[in-house]
Amino acid sequence: MAYLIFSITLMLVYIGLAQLLHIQFGMLGIPNFGIVGFWGLGMYSVGVLNVQWDFSFIPALILTLLLVALVANGLGRLILKLEGQAMLCATLAFSAIVALLVITEKWLTEGVVGLGTIKYPFDAGAMTEPLYFLILLLIVVGIQLFINKLHVSRLGTLIFSIRDNEELAASLGKDTVKIKLELFTLTCALMGLLGALSAPLNQFLTPNMLVPSVTFAVWIALILGGKEHSMGAVLGVFITFGLFDLLIESYLPVAPEYAVMVPNFKLFLYGAVLVAVLMYRPRGVLGHSAAGARQELP
Amino acid sequence: MMLNVNGLSSGYGDVTVLEDITFCVESEIFTVLGANGAGKTTLLKTLAKLLPVKSGTVEWRGETITDMPPYELPSRGMAYVPQEGNVFPDLSVAENLSIGGLLDLPSREERLSEVYELFPRLVDRSEQLAGSLSGGEGQMLAVGRALMQRPEIILFDEPSAGLSPQFVDTLFQKILEIREKQNVTIVLAEQNAVKALEIADRVLVLSLGKIHLLEDARDFDKNRLMEAYHI
Repeated sequence: MAYLIFSITLMLVYIGLAQLLHIQFGMLGIPNFGIVGFWGLGMYSVGVLNVQWDFSFIPALILTLLLVALVANGLGRLILKLEGQAMLCATLAFSAIVALLVITEKWLTEGVVGLGTIKYPFDAGAMTEPLYFLILLLIVVGIQLFINKLHVSRLGTLIFSIRDNEELAASLGKDTVKIKLELFTLTCALMGLLGALSAPLNQFLTPNMLVPSVTFAVWIALILGGKEHSMGAVLGVFITFGLFDLLIESYLPVAPEYAVMVPNFKLFLYGAVLVAVLMYRPRGVLGHSAAGARQELP
Repeated sequence: MMLNVNGLSSGYGDVTVLEDITFCVESEIFTVLGANGAGKTTLLKTLAKLLPVKSGTVEWRGETITDMPPYELPSRGMAYVPQEGNVFPDLSVAENLSIGGLLDLPSREERLSEVYELFPRLVDRSEQLAGSLSGGEGQMLAVGRALMQRPEIILFDEPSAGLSPQFVDTLFQKILEIREKQNVTIVLAEQNAVKALEIADRVLVLSLGKIHLLEDARDFDKNRLMEAYHI
């Protein structure tokens, strides 16, 4: 049961990251390949503040949020005027820098030895983990409500217009760079928040948590679910993490002699589903939101 | 004098396309003609502040806008209709129009009615994605979106490009209507010299990034246009 709660809580973290990527890429067109960088920065920041400098969890969380926002704002000023592919490389490089700094700055992060133990911000006995799950659930629901609202708001239409044709949007009187920077800062800071909240889940932080596969997992989930649809992130993570990582890998009832095949079978099925979706639903399972989910401007 | 361009040079990166361009635009239809590569699009993009001015000045109603960012211009009454990518393909027709009217929300409905009156076909297409419109309908939408800004001047970059001759007639008629009924100043860069000259008040001919001639449309000698086109 504890493993199930842990897994579902981790799935909520991935849903949150995919939702934020939906705002960045699906709505605004920013190809952020540095997700693990912002997430990891948040996780290590709260870890360092909590373990090394004895900050209690909530102040550490607030400082982390500010730190990641500051870093995202600085990075955004450098990269948001670049072309898409250059932006992709720059964000990927950012995440590699974060991972390298975690390894090299041993005085702060303990390097490859690892940093811990990071405890939950409260102790409710056996209810600690379920309550922590509820907190993350509230955050994810909050982000989803924000996305739903954004999709039908004037700001949402403006964001879609920037993604479609930034030059044209600018010529209509919109400071597109400012809007992109503000949203990039906000969403990256929230990725950092999810990282910070992941620290007590993992308890012990090591640099091998900051691998690009975290970023790719979030991207695959969003592409699979539908990058432009307001619910694409949620569905995508349910399919990739929920169905494949959780249900098939951990809970599929198979005879012990076949258990060794499950991981390979999972990867095969995962690949097959991805290929099928990209072939027959290139905009993801849920497709485009304009005709269905998006409403007329108020 | 509404738009005053003085000694303007601009281009892309290190490449200078326009050199020492000087003219002014009054309340009129001011047509910019020239062969491919003459610098018509570069001129309009520079006036819309989408390209940086390398030297010279641009003034709009007495205010220097040379170094102003593009998003400052619509609130000053300038609208731009580019040749390509002039609609938001993943937004509906209604959303495309709405976004043009974000600057002045109170009068948005009134302007929307005016646009629908001018282009009734857009009413039937209002829920359709702009990316699925025909070329002509897309151009109507681009013009309609510019009108939603309630502009005093519209910069049109080759609005007839890729349209059927029949629709070009309709479009130019609409541009004339906008000029006459709404008193909007028009700067019209065009390849289709014959059609453009039908509605122009004055003509600027560009050749290899420089002014070849600038004169009243009534006095315009088409042979000199051939010289500019190197025919």
